[in-house]
Amino acid sequence: MIITTELILSILASTLRRAVPLLLASLGGTFSMRAGVIDLGLEGMMLAGAFFGVLGASITGSAWMGLLIGIIFGIIFSLVHGVLHVKYKVNGSISGMVVNLLAAAVTPLVLTGYFGTTGKSPMVESFTNPKWEWLDNIPFIGPVLGGQNILFYLSIVLVIVSWIFLYKSKFGLRMRMVGENPEAASAVGLNVRAYKYFGVLISGAYAGLAGVYLSLGQMNLFVEEMTAGRGYIAVVINAFGRFNPIGSFLGSLFFGFFDAVQTVFQSFLPSQLVMMTPYVITIIVIIFGLKGGKAPAGTGKHIEN
Amino acid sequence: MTDKMKSVKKIQRRQSFANSIGALFFSLLLGMVFIYAMGYSPIESYKAIFGISLGTVKGFALSMSQATPLMFTGMAFALAYRVKMINTGAEGQLYIGALSAALVGVYVTSLPGFVHVPLALAAAFIAGGLVAGAVALAKAYTGANEIILTLMLNSVIIFFTSYLVNGPLKPEGSGVGQTEKIAETAKLTRLIPQTQLTTAIILAIVVALLAEFLINRTVFGYEVKVTGHNFTAAKVAGINVSRISILTFALSGAIAGLGGAAMVLGVNYRFVDGFSSGYGFAGISIAALAAYSPIAVIPSAMLIGILRAGTITLSRTTSIPVELVDLIQVLVIIFVAAPTMIKPIYKMRDRIIERFKTRGKTHGGEEI
Repeated sequence: MIITTELILSILASTLRRAVPLLLASLGGTFSMRAGVIDLGLEGMMLAGAFFGVLGASITGSAWMGLLIGIIFGIIFSLVHGVLHVKYKVNGSISGMVVNLLAAAVTPLVLTGYFGTTGKSPMVESFTNPKWEWLDNIPFIGPVLGGQNILFYLSIVLVIVSWIFLYKSKFGLRMRMVGENPEAASAVGLNVRAYKYFGVLISGAYAGLAGVYLSLGQMNLFVEEMTAGRGYIAVVINAFGRFNPIGSFLGSLFFGFFDAVQTVFQSFLPSQLVMMTPYVITIIVIIFGLKGGKAPAGTGKHIEN
Repeated sequence: MTDKMKSVKKIQRRQSFANSIGALFFSLLLGMVFIYAMGYSPIESYKAIFGISLGTVKGFALSMSQATPLMFTGMAFALAYRVKMINTGAEGQLYIGALSAALVGVYVTSLPGFVHVPLALAAAFIAGGLVAGAVALAKAYTGANEIILTLMLNSVIIFFTSYLVNGPLKPEGSGVGQTEKIAETAKLTRLIPQTQLTTAIILAIVVALLAEFLINRTVFGYEVKVTGHNFTAAKVAGINVSRISILTFALSGAIAGLGGAAMVLGVNYRFVDGFSSGYGFAGISIAALAAYSPIAVIPSAMLIGILRAGTITLSRTTSIPVELVDLIQVLVIIFVAAPTMIKPIYKMRDRIIERFKTRGKTHGGEEI
């Protein structure tokens, strides 16, 4: 195989494209974990966002309306997690898995019910890449950034906004306090449950957006189980990035890179072995890469009524 | 055990029984809403589903053969949950067990049936146990989250087995990804001719009885229960909690592996690429419905099997998809986990406890 500048640039562009859904979902996970609620439901919220985004775009004929509807359904699915865990005090891992299984069951049901198809939806309006000639003409940067769609730029903005919110705002500080020590937060008069709900719902919005990126950003239709475990990988990225938006950004680039290079190997290795790589990398990171990083101390803890 | 402890246990058992029945009832009720939204009559659909599964011998055999792998995966989840570990890896353990059983079934030949079948089952048991044991080991030593780890392993195992049966293990001239057919001596005996119901279901029941015995009648089982109930207390009491957790989790994976073997030796007679239709995840729901008791997993799996068999047959003539069962399964988990969500269940449960209390008094029992 010959390594050319072109190949490297295309891998870099592909790295960014594949990092976006991971980044958005793990940013969402950050909010959830910082409020002390485990973020195991990201996969399901993402799948819901991907499907209902397509449904919304199909009904309204607009990708932006699809995006809005995808986010709303991400939030609705996160509410299931929130209500079960925060209100009914169900183990957060179980309630997270419930969201994943619920989305895996509901999306094909509605797919068959509404579109009358199985496996995938018909094609709908999707996001197109913005045409910025000045950007395309810059050497090296042009070919890498030129291939990105508008949701990529949005996700970069969201990294900064999330970081400022968590570390520079009073509200973010209080939310982190709830995540670290709900008892103490409650003692100083914070509404612990409200903060937990807030964290979970924001994670649903981000994960919904991540799903929309998969179905309306990278493609123009919904394919059954199209999230393919990205929500779980996002959980790992979130921990890998020490529950910090900047860490999530770097972690997503790392995983996005491995996702991008695997396509290079597809030409001379059996596809199944190539498709295994992101999961193998994730397992290696779980076992060797998470040492020393601790989840917020109050994760899964409830306050007495 | 004192009388008081016995009656506490009895109440708990009744409580969880009422919970499960209520949860199943409300899940089926909510399933009706979905059927209605799809444009079908809910009552007619349920009549058809149960009519198919329970009305004919063939239908009943299909229900029970559908229930068989679910018994294994349900037990797998239930056992792991006894040490408060979540085995979402039953799907992968099922695949690795199925592949191991198929390898023994295909490539180990000229053995009598009474040796061949146990050998294939043992291979599946060991393979599933090793995979799950490795996960538990990783958790014990690095604190890795077993849920994510098992889910990632599921994908790795499914892709890897798919590679094997589409590449090196694929028989010549085969159009789909699968292994060679297993030897006659490795096949399980059919209980009803021309159906998929085999002696695997008897194996499942025997395993359930053994698991129940292990949990309730042995020192190991006692340590499992203490570890699951209060990790710190178990440690203080001198129980080697990591050893208990690793062994229990490995056993859980081994049982899921047996489920895969049951599919290969009893139903498909070979390893078929992507053969499981979500049996692993269905186990979560079945274990929840059974209140994590291995023996109660058997009737729970039968109920879900009846539902699945009926819906599978119904989906061939109508556009009601098989995923309806998946939805009902998730609802079951929700309602079992949060029984207070549905007031009627709560009330029913209270009434049962109340009645039991008063009856206990008339018999001169202590108040609890």
